[in-house]
Amino acid sequence: MTAGATQPKEGRPKRPAPTTKRIFTLIFVAIVAWAVLTIDVRLERLPDMPAALANIFDRMFLRDGPEWSYLPDAVGYMIESVQIAWLGTIIGAILSLPLGFFGAKNVSSGLISNIVRQILNGIRAIPEVLVAVVVFIPMVGLGAYPGTLAIGVHSVGTLGKLSAEVIEGIDPGPVEAARAAGGRPLQIQRWGVLPQVLPEIVAFWLYRFEINIRASAILGAVGAGGVGEALVQSLQFRRFDRAGMLIIVIVVVTILIDTASGYLRRRIIEGGDRPSKGAAREQPELAVLRPGAQADAPGGP
Amino acid sequence: MTAATASRGVRPSRPRRSLMGPIALLVFLAITWWAASDEFGIDFDVPRLLTNLTRGASILAEFLPPAWDFLPRTFGPMIQTIQMAVIAAAIGCGTALPVAFLASRVSTPNRFVFLVDRGVLSVVRALPDILYALVFVAALGVGPLPGILALILFNIAVVAKLLSETVDGVDPGPIEAARAAGSGKAQTVRWAIFPQVLPNYVAYSLYAFELNIRASAVIGIVGAGGIGNLINAERRFFNYDNLTVILIEIFVLVFVVEMISIFLRRRLV
Amino acid sequence: MIEFEQASVTYPGGVQALKNLTLQIPAGQMMVIVGLSGAGKSTLIRAVNGLVPLTDGDVTVDGVSVRHARPKQLREIRSRIGMIFQTFNLVRRTTVLNNVLMGRLHDAGTLRSMLAMYKHEDVEIAMQALERVGIVEKAYVRASNLSGGQQQRVGIARALAQQPKIILADEPVASLDPPTSHVVMRDLQRINRELKMTTIINLHFLDLAKVYGERIIGMRNGELVYDGTGAQADEHVFRDIYGRSLTADDMLGAPAPAG
Repeated sequence: MTAGATQPKEGRPKRPAPTTKRIFTLIFVAIVAWAVLTIDVRLERLPDMPAALANIFDRMFLRDGPEWSYLPDAVGYMIESVQIAWLGTIIGAILSLPLGFFGAKNVSSGLISNIVRQILNGIRAIPEVLVAVVVFIPMVGLGAYPGTLAIGVHSVGTLGKLSAEVIEGIDPGPVEAARAAGGRPLQIQRWGVLPQVLPEIVAFWLYRFEINIRASAILGAVGAGGVGEALVQSLQFRRFDRAGMLIIVIVVVTILIDTASGYLRRRIIEGGDRPSKGAAREQPELAVLRPGAQADAPGGP
Repeated sequence: MTAATASRGVRPSRPRRSLMGPIALLVFLAITWWAASDEFGIDFDVPRLLTNLTRGASILAEFLPPAWDFLPRTFGPMIQTIQMAVIAAAIGCGTALPVAFLASRVSTPNRFVFLVDRGVLSVVRALPDILYALVFVAALGVGPLPGILALILFNIAVVAKLLSETVDGVDPGPIEAARAAGSGKAQTVRWAIFPQVLPNYVAYSLYAFELNIRASAVIGIVGAGGIGNLINAERRFFNYDNLTVILIEIFVLVFVVEMISIFLRRRLV
Repeated sequence: MIEFEQASVTYPGGVQALKNLTLQIPAGQMMVIVGLSGAGKSTLIRAVNGLVPLTDGDVTVDGVSVRHARPKQLREIRSRIGMIFQTFNLVRRTTVLNNVLMGRLHDAGTLRSMLAMYKHEDVEIAMQALERVGIVEKAYVRASNLSGGQQQRVGIARALAQQPKIILADEPVASLDPPTSHVVMRDLQRINRELKMTTIINLHFLDLAKVYGERIIGMRNGELVYDGTGAQADEHVFRDIYGRSLTADDMLGAPAPAG
């Protein structure tokens, strides 16, 4: 987007032609245009939307107010979601740690690490909801159980990949020293690798927990327990006052947990005296900038 | 060891082991036990899990072989999923740009706007996108439109938060230079801040698009269009082999999108 | 003309960076400020264009008070003052030309500058500024691909593009090697003489100050402790200003190249 003179004077360089940028912009515009023009969407109700939304918002929070008498139940459902997320994250963390080691090129062999990484990618690609809906609910029925399992399994994918990346990024010095001192392989991992990566990996676990809170709320929508189920039901029966109460509880608890977890993460990262390599540690969302970094939960960061 | 009696230095006493570690561990175990117990928690029973898993194995057999003849029926919904993701990403990421600048201490015009913007973003992010899908479906009926709207909201929240945090960390030098030259607030943002965060913005937008692809597969389950609708239908009829086909498709799509995203990010940075 | 009247700056922590400064700088003068770090040099220079607000007293530029200027007025004042920084403060990811055009932002108007649709005259001014500092051939090169000395010349071009009456330079050569430092200082000297712009420069290399400073101001602890010409300033003078004996770090060391 450089402004340029139309006729370069003597000695002045010519303005470079912006072909690459133009091509990309063209492709981008073409794709968006295709999507807009070919989607089968009825727009007639769109003008009504603001009024309809205002109405719903009104009924959720203002007119009938959030149903405060529903608060204990709402909190109960939210607690269930938090428990699901907690246990699911633990399952994911426990299973992902060894997988992270296997998936790291510098720790395990090239072949094994590749296979493990591909498996992890595969697990990551399927959103938890689908895992729950398609696999676990048919297996164990409805309720909190399949939800926990679904979150656990999906988390293994993301945490495994992130752990492997962290492990690949270590300083090889301590590992070499451990090997030189005659350490056995497991010892080398425990003393050479683990101390370097543990703070960051634990920080990822905490971050995953934050995301899983949202995931478990979503899972409720398909019957996997927790606050999502209550939410869907209240909306389907048009009990907007109840829905309002649930929403308030969700927001408050999520923000509380986010804050606590964020605080813990920062403490853990700063606990070591290593200078943190920039915001990517504290804010794992920024890890998306690393080449090859890939997207996470559908519930969002 | 020499016999010199020169001072060897006083050995420090062993530092008191901090109690933080053990306490944290205790708290952690307590919470876990509470969460898994049957009275207070979700009754997470490992033995039952194993029996279920073995029973589940027979169900798993129904997933294979994938019913490939089902494939053509999935094309329409899949395309709709992609369309929804594209539109929501375009509108959402575009809107997120000004929202992000207002949410950063560095580029916001005044404190009130800053606090309101940050506050709204926090709240919007705290709620799962399914909720927005549900609300929009309640307001507009089923179909892809409520899905798109929900995704737009979700996109804005995600990208604006990420971008505002990046903006918080920009090099203040060019900003000082712009101010010193008499540039106004908007101009400063456009020329001193935006060029610095452009690669990040592109990365975040691509990330949001990837999230959209996955999310639009999911929100269909509550009626907001896309492949989720089909998933709902098929699972009601226990057509597990059809579901396998859908899952494979989703996996392939996500994989392709990620490859494209990596390629684009490398090129544009 | 720039006029300080009992100007004081006290930072929130209680540190007094400027104490009752009274000073007049006639138009077209080349003035060098010396002093230890923290003596008030940076604060003084930034008080001229209001980047650091005064807590007491006033500073006026051609009769207009900087301290009491409303935001729009302040931007107007700033657009007539060009500033050069020790760390260049360029936008590294964009082209040299775009950086220089930042000097035209105020005059170009909001709409045009947001859409990057600069008027032909603005681009012309930018190009001429680049020609004046001798790097116009790099106009479309990404700023981060230039050497330190070249980047600083872009910084100077950016200031020139504003067509200012005053140029402020905060340690413009501290990040540069000796030969390049002389090149930059000579550019500033030339600009001062040919374009008749009031030039105020912070330096911590005393030998440079002596050579290029038509007038030298010494600051210590926020107070003005010396005011004389470059010829009059010798080791004793500098030692007084610094309050300690001079070291090798205080000198650039390399003599000005011939010619």
